[in-house]
Amino acid sequence: MSVLCIENLTFSYANRTVLDQFSLTIPLTGLTAISGPSGCGKTTLLRLLAGLEKPVRGTITGISQKRIAILFQEDRLLPWRTVRQHILDVLPNDRREDADSWLTFAELKDSADLYPAELSGGMARRLALARCCALGGDLLLLDEPFAGVDAERRARIIERLSRQCVPMLLTTHEPDVVKACQRQIILDESPGSWKH
Amino acid sequence: MQIRIPSAARFLTTGIIMQNSRPVHRFRNKCVRILIPLIFWLGIWQIAAMTVGFQLLLPTPVAVFRVLLGLAVTASFWQSIVLSLGRVLCGLILGCVLGCALAVLTWRFRWADLLFSPVIRVIRATPVVSFILLVYLWVARADIPEVISALMVLPVIWSSLQTGLETTDRQLLEMAKAYRFSPLKTLRLIWLPSLRPHLTGGLSTGLGLAWKSGIAAEVICPPRYAIGTELSKAKTALQSPELYAWTVTIVILSLTLESVLKWVLRPRQKSTGDREKT
Repeated sequence: MSVLCIENLTFSYANRTVLDQFSLTIPLTGLTAISGPSGCGKTTLLRLLAGLEKPVRGTITGISQKRIAILFQEDRLLPWRTVRQHILDVLPNDRREDADSWLTFAELKDSADLYPAELSGGMARRLALARCCALGGDLLLLDEPFAGVDAERRARIIERLSRQCVPMLLTTHEPDVVKACQRQIILDESPGSWKH
Repeated sequence: MQIRIPSAARFLTTGIIMQNSRPVHRFRNKCVRILIPLIFWLGIWQIAAMTVGFQLLLPTPVAVFRVLLGLAVTASFWQSIVLSLGRVLCGLILGCVLGCALAVLTWRFRWADLLFSPVIRVIRATPVVSFILLVYLWVARADIPEVISALMVLPVIWSSLQTGLETTDRQLLEMAKAYRFSPLKTLRLIWLPSLRPHLTGGLSTGLGLAWKSGIAAEVICPPRYAIGTELSKAKTALQSPELYAWTVTIVILSLTLESVLKWVLRPRQKSTGDREKT
């Protein structure tokens, strides 16, 4: 079983330090929830893990950034692509027939031909999540994957997510999502502090 | 609660809805929108010409139409049109290629922005007549309209494309990078659709500018067969109806080109049947 190891990670935006000497070691299996108040550095931590930001100091070991898929805090959908095309865009040629199963996963099969402007907030979020999962990788980083998704659907989708054999780190505020995860990391408002 | 609509009112409402939805009615509405102003202004022109009563100053539309019909049966009329169109379109393409290349350069590299942006702004601010006279010293007479059209189109395309490049959503580009899209896929899925409205606007404005400046260059430096040359000849010979007939030809061609461009660059239908299948 591989282990994600973060050591003395420090990161700042201009004059504001978001993470200071942050260290963490977690096993890379199942679902791990990262929670904490707004602005405590949850999104920054995911962006650092994905290699989208460079830390000021510190190291991240145990993962290959080339094999990580990230679900951004924003949906980042292409207004000119349909729901189905969004899934097809990330699937390799030999897995294109999986598109339908990903649409079913996100309960969007009936909306496959709609454009993002025609989707509700929850539907757009589910599409972004399905696209990220369809891309796949050794680790999925999901930033607020259930924002705007109703509780019943959330429960069904998280159940499907937990059946995936890929380790996932997800930020969330919803208690039911935290409950469904194998472990929880709570970030404090003071940069760098956390508890299991 | 059910609201009862009187039969006459119901007929009127359904009539209006049908008028807007049926393609035949839409075509009829379009014809009315074009024909009524056209007939009105032709009438005003006819009345003004009859009031002035001097063909040299203001010929009647009928006289101009007769001259135009006479010109339309000659080979040189069509030869002039084809060659003028060819020159303007060559200039348009040249201006677009240069404008796009310079926009990418000045957006991507600071040194290119520092060097080229002021020059392009100078080109944009220089009057077309100055350029025609300056280019006359360097370029063969037959090529002047092409060069002038290109020079007029270049700043418009450069400016539109640069705005497009600057306003393309950074978050989508970051998503493309994170989702391991190839450069070609990023170009096809993000850059081109984002730049499309900017390019369409630039091309539409550029076409009008290329056409007008190209004809102006032909008038000042007349090549052998050209609309501008014919305009110049008609002016020298004080042939007002012919001058008007050529002007009408220019306007018709300009509107036709604009419609063709609009049709070519029209946004894709969002109906299910027309959607891209991947």
